[in-house]
Amino acid sequence: MLGFIKKDLLMIKSNIKILAILLLIYVVMAFQGQMDLSFLLPFMSVMIMMSTFSYDSYNKWDAYAISLPDGRKSSVKAKYLATIILIIATTIIITILSFTISYAKTNIIDFENITGTIFGSLFATILLQSLIYPAMYKFGPEKARIGLMTIIFCVAIIGGFITQYVDLSSIINILNFIEEYWIIVFFMTMILMLYISYKISERIYFKKEI
Amino acid sequence: MDIIISNSSNQPIFEQIKQAIKKAIATDELKENEMLPSIRNLAQDLRISVMTVKRAYDELEQEGFIKTIQGKGSLVATKNIELLKEEQMREIEKYIDKIALISKASNISKKEILEAFEYLFEEDE
Amino acid sequence: MENENILEVKNLCKRYKGFELQNVNITLPKGMIMGFIGENGAGKTTTIKAILDIIKDYTGEIKVFGLDNRKDDKKIKENIGAVLDDMFFPEILTPNDINSIMKYIYKNWDSELYFKYLTDFALPNNKAIKTLSKGMRKKLEIATAISHHPKLLILDEPTAGLDPIARNEVIDIFQNFIQNEECSILLSSHITTDLEHIADYITFINNGNIILSKTREELLEDYGIVKCSKEEFEKIDKNDFIKYKKSKYEYEVLVESKKAFKRKYAINTIDKITLEELMVLMIKGEK
Repeated sequence: MLGFIKKDLLMIKSNIKILAILLLIYVVMAFQGQMDLSFLLPFMSVMIMMSTFSYDSYNKWDAYAISLPDGRKSSVKAKYLATIILIIATTIIITILSFTISYAKTNIIDFENITGTIFGSLFATILLQSLIYPAMYKFGPEKARIGLMTIIFCVAIIGGFITQYVDLSSIINILNFIEEYWIIVFFMTMILMLYISYKISERIYFKKEI
Repeated sequence: MDIIISNSSNQPIFEQIKQAIKKAIATDELKENEMLPSIRNLAQDLRISVMTVKRAYDELEQEGFIKTIQGKGSLVATKNIELLKEEQMREIEKYIDKIALISKASNISKKEILEAFEYLFEEDE
Repeated sequence: MENENILEVKNLCKRYKGFELQNVNITLPKGMIMGFIGENGAGKTTTIKAILDIIKDYTGEIKVFGLDNRKDDKKIKENIGAVLDDMFFPEILTPNDINSIMKYIYKNWDSELYFKYLTDFALPNNKAIKTLSKGMRKKLEIATAISHHPKLLILDEPTAGLDPIARNEVIDIFQNFIQNEECSILLSSHITTDLEHIADYITFINNGNIILSKTREELLEDYGIVKCSKEEFEKIDKNDFIKYKKSKYEYEVLVESKKAFKRKYAINTIDKITLEELMVLMIKGEK
């Protein structure tokens, strides 16, 4: 299991540069106060992770993986976990940076706004992963990529809408009977999405003729 | 001990191994009770299949040239001059077979062959 | 005797569109090398993929180390090393990456041994797989398959694309591997000369059917190819040969025992057969 996660993480190391560049752009933009690009980073990590599907399929890794101990069981799980690790890592970085920049610029931390944006982007990213991964397994990276473009477009709009126009605190107010627990609900929803998506992917993978 | 394997020879490889070992036994290059190389080792060194070496060893054992001790390996059996001679005789018989085959195919009579033989041995004496 | 066989395939069937694997039976005793030969598309890769449980919906029983290949999947795969045609790690990874991954995949992964093979094969540690030549890539695949001390190596066309020197090196590794009597190899190839000497058993698959599975000794020492004229051929009893092929000047007749044939007939030209000739006669020959 660990080996399979490691493999997926090692595969993105050549793409780490892209994430670093994005991070730099984000920092510059944030200081200039033009646009909040913080959602870009977790989002891009899913995109980069998705490129690993193409490499996998090009070298028929999935078939090779089954020749290894626990290969069939671990392949899909590892892909999900590696992606989540990357998303969490980028989210943590972006959170720390957002707070730091916000403090450096204004001497106060706009806690509500920043967490809102970050949770929004995290949610959108996880949603994207949950939607696209089963498609990756079902249709292969080439076809899934076309579907991906459409989905990205939609998710970007929805994500943008959520973070820009919907006051997250009002949603929280609506749910005020669980006000203290909204974070739990939020995370539970994401975990549930991921879990369902993972189970679907696994089913597809187990049934597929490799 | 030299074991020279020829791929172009019509003689089977296991046969070539047998001959080489017998020769080594006859010339005392391999002494009584001396260990032979292990089947797997010899196979690797000669770049041939394990089965081929095994066949050679099995046949050598059947013919009484070597003994195999379970879990230890094969060693040269107590030497038996009679056995070696018998062996040579068998070798000769093979050639006689061939002579018979050729003579039949080309209609050469038994008498003519025998004459040729006598002539050959007379020359020697 | 059951557990003396490292691999047993019984009545393996698998149906694809336009191709069918029909009742494939293979038995590989411990400590032996089996050469698995056949034309491209004859079913070698499909059989190998079934043994490794990579393909789905096949029927029949496959036992590796006496265990069921589906039920005891994990246990079996800890002890198998596989080189599969065209399937490997994604090519953006490096040999170093493979080591750091495999450490966590196999309990018995031996980094030291792996790096020793890399050095022996003159492979770079830190270059992406995609920068390697085809031959180097194969060698890397072999090094990867053998570095967890497996008991069974399953190799699909491991010498394809290798130059003669590299092929020699690789065959040396295979022979070294079975110095341990517990270890066996199933080796598919269409380059029959590689197998001619080192394989203990030869299994020949054609069009999804196993048409021959014998020891190397029986096939290459006992079997023979009789070359004769039309008149001579007509005198041969149908039961005394397996297949024959007619050419412009001669008949080539495949016989099961050179010795027995010689005793019965006065035809002088009986040659040893090469695997290549055997393949051609078995596929193209008539009966």
